[in-house]
Amino acid sequence: MSEVPSVEDLAAQLQAVSGAQEIDADAALQHIADVDSLDLMEWLYGFQNRYPHIPADESLFADIDDTTTLRVVHGRILALVGQAGV
Amino acid sequence: MSGFDITGWGISVPERVVTSVELAERFGVDEHWIVSRCGIRERRAVGAGQSTASMAVEAGRRALERAGLSGADIAHLIVATATPEQPSPATSAFVHEALEIAGSAHDVNSECAGFVYGLVTAAGLLRMDPRPVLLIGSDTHTLTANPQDRDLSILVGDGAGAVVLQPGSVERILAWNLGADGSCKDSLKVLAGGSRLPTSEETVRRGLHYAQINGNEIYLNAVRYTVRTIRETLEQAKLTPADVDHVVPHQANIRIINSVLAHTGIPSDRLVTNLERYGNTASASIPIALAEALDAGRIQDGDTVLLAGFGAGMTWGSVLLTWGGAR
Repeated sequence: MSEVPSVEDLAAQLQAVSGAQEIDADAALQHIADVDSLDLMEWLYGFQNRYPHIPADESLFADIDDTTTLRVVHGRILALVGQAGV
Repeated sequence: MSGFDITGWGISVPERVVTSVELAERFGVDEHWIVSRCGIRERRAVGAGQSTASMAVEAGRRALERAGLSGADIAHLIVATATPEQPSPATSAFVHEALEIAGSAHDVNSECAGFVYGLVTAAGLLRMDPRPVLLIGSDTHTLTANPQDRDLSILVGDGAGAVVLQPGSVERILAWNLGADGSCKDSLKVLAGGSRLPTSEETVRRGLHYAQINGNEIYLNAVRYTVRTIRETLEQAKLTPADVDHVVPHQANIRIINSVLAHTGIPSDRLVTNLERYGNTASASIPIALAEALDAGRIQDGDTVLLAGFGAGMTWGSVLLTWGGAR
C-alpha cells in the first residue's frame, strides 16, 4: 500500500505553507488565523505533487463551511484512497 | 539570419492611480488585508478618452522611438489583448492606423499569457519573413471587473507594454513552451458579448458583461501550469533554475509568483516584479516589467531572461532568452 499521510502530517504541511503558528486539526479551517483559501490551494498543490497516487483535487474544499476541519479533510482523503484502491 | 534582437521597448499606463487604501474603504476592509492577499498597493485605471488601443499606440510609439524606427519600417504588428477596443475590427487595426504601420496587423487573445504567445508568434514570423515586428500587450481589465466584485477589483490594473523585434544574427530564444487546457475555461470568464450569448438588456441587467472568477481554481492551475511550463522550457534549454538571471513572470498575484519560485527553485533575487505599483495588467504585465527592468539597467547583454505567463482559458507559456542586441 502506498503512503497515506496522517492528519498530523497534513497539519504540518499546512502550517509550513501558511506560516500559521499552530494548526489545530479539529478547528474549523475558516477560523484558523493566517490560513485562507489560497493557503489551502497552495497546500493542495504540494499535496498533489507529494502524493500523486491519491486523486485529490479542489473538490476537497468545494463545500467548506464552519464545520469543516482538517480532520474532516483527512477523512475525505482516506475515502479517496479507499475508492482508488491505493 | 534566423535570429532577432529586441531593439526597442516602451510602456504606457494611465495617470489615474487607484490605491489599495481607496479600495479598502470601498469594500470595508483595510489596506493590509488587500496587500497581504495579493501584494498590490496601487494600480492604474483608464480615464476618459483612454482605451486599450490608445495605450497600445503610446507604448508602441515609445518602443519604435527607442528602436529608431517608424511605423513604415514595421512588417508585422501583433497586439495581445483580451479587452479589445471593440468587438470588431481587431484592436490592431486602430493601432495600425495611428502608428502608420506599413505591414500586416493582427490580435492575439490568449488572455494574460498573450504577450508570451505573441512573442513566440513574432519569432516564427521573423523566421519566415526577416523584417521588423512590433509586439504590444495592452489591457483594460478595470473595465471588465464588476465594481462590486472585491476579489477582482483589488487585482486588476490597466496598461500597455511594447517591444520591437528586428532580425539579427544571434538566436536569442534558447527554448520556449506554450500550452492550454480548455477544460479550465470557466475559471475566469466574461459570459456575454460574444456569439454564444450576445449582449442584450438581460445580459447587462444580470451583469454578465463583467468578468467572473473562481479564485481558488485559478490559483491552483496558475501555479501548476506556470511551474510546468518553466520546468519544460528549462529542460529543453538544458539549464537549471540557478542559470536564470532574471525571471519576468505574469504579474498576477505575489502569492502565485512566490509559489512558482518556490516550486521551480528559481532564486527569489532573480525576480522582476512591479506588481505592487501596477497590479495585474494582463497581457501588458510582462512587457511593462521587462521594459522597466531594462530602463533601470538591471538586464544586461548576455543575461538569461525567462518570461513566463498564464491566463484564462487556461493558457500558459514561457520563453527563455539570451538578452542582447539593442542598438
